[in-house]
Amino acid sequence: MTNGKAIIDAHNISKIYNADTIPVYAVNNVHLHIEEGEFTALVGPSGSGKTTLLNLIGGLDKADAGNIYINNIDITKLSAGKLIDFRLKNIGFVFQSFNLIPVLTAKENVEFIMLLQGAGKTERLQRVQQLFKEIGLEDKLNSRPAELSGGQQQRVAVARALASKPRFVLADEPTANLDSKSAANLLDIMEMLNKEEKITFLFSTHDQRVIQRARRVVTLVDGAVAEDTSNTMMNGKL
Amino acid sequence: MRSIIVMMSIAIGLFAGMAVLSLYKGMMKSRIATVVNAEIGHIQIHDTDFKKDYEPRFFIKNANTVLHEIQKIPEIKAIALRSITTGMLITPTGSAGVKINGIIPAQENGVSQLKLKIKKGKGFSEKKKNEVFIGKKLADKMKLKPGSKLVLTFTDTAGEIVSGAFRIAAIYQSDNAPLDERNVYVKIADLNELLGLTDQFHEIAIIIQDDKYLASVKKKLQQHLPQYQVDSWIDISPEMDLMVKTTDQYSYIIIVIIMIALAFGIINTMLMAILERTREIGMMIALGTSRIRVFMLILFETFFLTAAGTPIGIFLAWGIISYFNKRGLDLSGMGKEMMSSFGFNTLVYPEFPGEKLFGILVIVVSTAIISCLFPAARALKLKPADALRR
Ligand SMILES: Nc1ncnc2c1ncn2[C@@H]1O[C@H](COP(=O)(O)OP(=O)(O)OP(=O)(O)O)[C@@H](O)[C@H]1O
Ligand SMILES: [Mg+2]
Repeated sequence: MTNGKAIIDAHNISKIYNADTIPVYAVNNVHLHIEEGEFTALVGPSGSGKTTLLNLIGGLDKADAGNIYINNIDITKLSAGKLIDFRLKNIGFVFQSFNLIPVLTAKENVEFIMLLQGAGKTERLQRVQQLFKEIGLEDKLNSRPAELSGGQQQRVAVARALASKPRFVLADEPTANLDSKSAANLLDIMEMLNKEEKITFLFSTHDQRVIQRARRVVTLVDGAVAEDTSNTMMNGKL
Repeated sequence: MRSIIVMMSIAIGLFAGMAVLSLYKGMMKSRIATVVNAEIGHIQIHDTDFKKDYEPRFFIKNANTVLHEIQKIPEIKAIALRSITTGMLITPTGSAGVKINGIIPAQENGVSQLKLKIKKGKGFSEKKKNEVFIGKKLADKMKLKPGSKLVLTFTDTAGEIVSGAFRIAAIYQSDNAPLDERNVYVKIADLNELLGLTDQFHEIAIIIQDDKYLASVKKKLQQHLPQYQVDSWIDISPEMDLMVKTTDQYSYIIIVIIMIALAFGIINTMLMAILERTREIGMMIALGTSRIRVFMLILFETFFLTAAGTPIGIFLAWGIISYFNKRGLDLSGMGKEMMSSFGFNTLVYPEFPGEKLFGILVIVVSTAIISCLFPAARALKLKPADALRR
């Protein structure tokens, strides 16, 4: 695992809320090294800092200390405008819920990201077709989010996360609102993308069944890394 | 839902602006119509010295030449000859200064529509001498009714004081209470006899076929009758022209107030809309939508809502205004006394302010766009991490 290409390299990062009243060390001096092709789960009790850490790595929030290298670029040094652009090109996001823009169709939600990147029409169309095939929703292209099940919405969210061809995807509890069948289905798709397209996934979760399918599990407690284990055995079985 | 509220506020703002303007336009038009058709006429001709002091000796000389010139102009629809003097009206209980108009009743009906203004009494009779019309306000003040007797005192052409006893044949009321209080009408023959005149008169009031001929007819008359004073209603009642112009300004002030209300409405709804969509906007920023794009999106949204609301507003305004333009809008609820003391009819026929449409449109659209800038700026300040936690 140490000889691969580093995608995420976080050094000594901390995030402190309410620094001037009762400080909350949401993320406390965390080191995290993720390599290309990983399929890693971030676990830990509620309030342990999973969301905060993902937000820091994704550049959605500013760290109070430390450096975060994504593809060898220190995102803590980027200006706000550059950071938005960086996110668009390099990182795919899947959130827990309300991932999609309700007024747009599934297809438009995915296309939207490519529009932001300035992709041409034929390119967008091809990519959308391909992504919807991968998530198994070719027949739902023109459905609005309200007409899709929670699982289907999350699959569209995964498609959208990949629309801009990022090398890795951050997902904060992507299965939290899904029944176990939909959750398994979403994991299947993520795993397939991980294997076939070498997309790196870092996702937080509470769900034991999801944790089992990760190849590496990083456990946070009180904002610090308490445990970091590889599930190679499990992986071999799959 | 929000979009409908914004759209409707724009439509209603537009409608309100148009309604105010149409009301003003209607009031002004009817006021001008009253001034022209019931008070002054389009054009008046006098001896050049007459209007200084209303001295009865400055009657129109060479009346036949003048009337001949008038007959040559086809745009002239009707005329009324009047002899005029100022004097005192005296009753056993009091007195008042009045302008005494000696008229030919049949002519007045085509010019000042005096007959239509009669509220009480039968009007002039062919045979009886020394009958008088007085305004309702004066009658109320002096406690006079049809049949009451009064005395009119004034100076004649020779400068001697003369008086005559008159009997009230009618009490009239127009839309202009101050004028009613000042003007009394008698038959021209009765007045001339006292003044020491025969067939002479002091004033020719002229009604023309259409307002648009006003300037040209006035010019023609002036050219042919250089030794007389030819005035249009604008010259005689410059305050009327001024009123039209100031009302125009007032109507814009009212529009500005309406627009401020509209702006607050839009700011409020757009802020709510952004609050409601905090997550959505936060997510868009998280996914890599630049802040400028978010700003533009909100701007475009407002623009489209405005574009959608505008035709609704105009259509609404047009429909309602046309309806009341035919039916008339009764504003007597606002106080008949007040309206009439300013010379306004309480029945207003609002008119679609077509010529101001563009101006209002520009005001409404820019109000909408400007008032969404503040909410849009708020959206830009959203931190994606905070927005997503909601
Ligand atoms: N905006 C904030 N202001 C203050 N404290 C915050 C804020 N966001 C998070 N925290 C605190 O930081 C800590 C970590 O929160 P975080 O949401 O990262 O935990 P989590 O592991 O994602 O929990 P969960 O499993 O419930 O999603 C918590 O104690 C939380 O109360
Ligand atoms: Mg969380």
